[in-house]
Amino acid sequence: MPELGDVTAPPRAKQAESKQDKTKSSLERAFMDSAERFLLKHQELEQIALATLQVARLLMVSGARAEVVHEGSAMVALGLGAEHAELRSGYASLAITVGAGINTITRMAGVGPLGVNHRLDQAVRGLARRVQKNGLTPAAVVAELASLERNTPKHPPWLVATAVGVACAAFGRLFGVDWQAFLPVIVAVAGGQAIRHGLLQRGANVFVTSAIVAFLSSCFCGLTAKWSGSATIDSAMVASVLLLVPGVPALNSQSDIMEGHPTLGTARAVSVVMILMFIAIGVLNARAVLGIGP
Amino acid sequence: MTIDYLHLLHQTLFGALAASGFGILFNFGWRELLWCAGSGAVALTTRTLAQDAGWSLEAASFVAAATVGSSGRLLRSHLGMASNALAVCGCIPMVPGSFATHAIFGLFALTAPSAQNATLMMTTTVEMLRVAFTIGAIGAGLSMTTHILRTRDF
Repeated sequence: MPELGDVTAPPRAKQAESKQDKTKSSLERAFMDSAERFLLKHQELEQIALATLQVARLLMVSGARAEVVHEGSAMVALGLGAEHAELRSGYASLAITVGAGINTITRMAGVGPLGVNHRLDQAVRGLARRVQKNGLTPAAVVAELASLERNTPKHPPWLVATAVGVACAAFGRLFGVDWQAFLPVIVAVAGGQAIRHGLLQRGANVFVTSAIVAFLSSCFCGLTAKWSGSATIDSAMVASVLLLVPGVPALNSQSDIMEGHPTLGTARAVSVVMILMFIAIGVLNARAVLGIGP
Repeated sequence: MTIDYLHLLHQTLFGALAASGFGILFNFGWRELLWCAGSGAVALTTRTLAQDAGWSLEAASFVAAATVGSSGRLLRSHLGMASNALAVCGCIPMVPGSFATHAIFGLFALTAPSAQNATLMMTTTVEMLRVAFTIGAIGAGLSMTTHILRTRDF
């Protein structure tokens, strides 16, 4: 005699229940599989997005135009397996959306101070071409980028300082600086470049650095040009700060606007104007200290 | 048109020197520095010849930038992928940094108590416009050649 509560289902109902369980578990399994696949795809896309952002960041900091940054990042993202990639480039940050099938992911990264480094730019472009052709893994791309950033050859700081000194003195000759001021400009600019390098290495603000270097270089140049008997002290003082004039960003800003990236182009143009303003403040103070002009 | 060959040689040499010096600052390789010097020399020669022919600084800068840009494109097989960067480096000695600084001096001087405002305003405005138009002309010269002589290389 069955006890109360000991309810045993009839055999037909049991069969239906077990069939229902099987269907349910196969549905659950399918759901889990698809969720796992989704998560896996999501993780893969995240790796692709992060590696692509690293490529875009390095291109930006080495002075590439926005169009090059966009083209390079698309090559890398598609080469790594994404089906589509859209980059948004700002002055201080980059955001990318990569997708494959119904999955998409958006990630963002800061850029850091923008400069000009031609050999690094070429090396990163070479990597982008290889990824597009051979399809490396995201981890390999990130590792290679870190190695490029560390190991791309650079000219020694003393050579850069001397070369920039000679370049600015030559530039000065182009707009009429006399021979007596030639050497003072070289020495003032070389010293200014050494100070700029030191300050930027210590993380100093780029605008403040421009004003300090402009003041010191033009002060030194004005004094030594006066002492060497130059008749073009004013022009020599201007030549001594030409190393600070952001020529490449000025040209890039125009190209960016022309090529359909007005936000980045405008931001670059504003930063160029700001740097010119800080250079002028430095030179004006030097002129006041030396008693030249207003 | 009268050409002062000594002045032309002077501008060419110092254009080359300035471009190669900035090439080192921009971390160009040793082999490319020679091309930087060549690029600067072509830019300054063209600009000086155009100015000798009576062209304005802006027009001369545009023609010089376009010449450097298209030369780079035509010599692409020798230069590799860096032809655009070399053209930019060659154009750097044409950036009117001196005018820009003088224009900003003028703006500051306008606020001085004893400023000759009318004359100063005129000079400063002219200098600022020359800076804007010259940078614009260089950028346009480079960009237009890049787009007209476009290649698929990255």
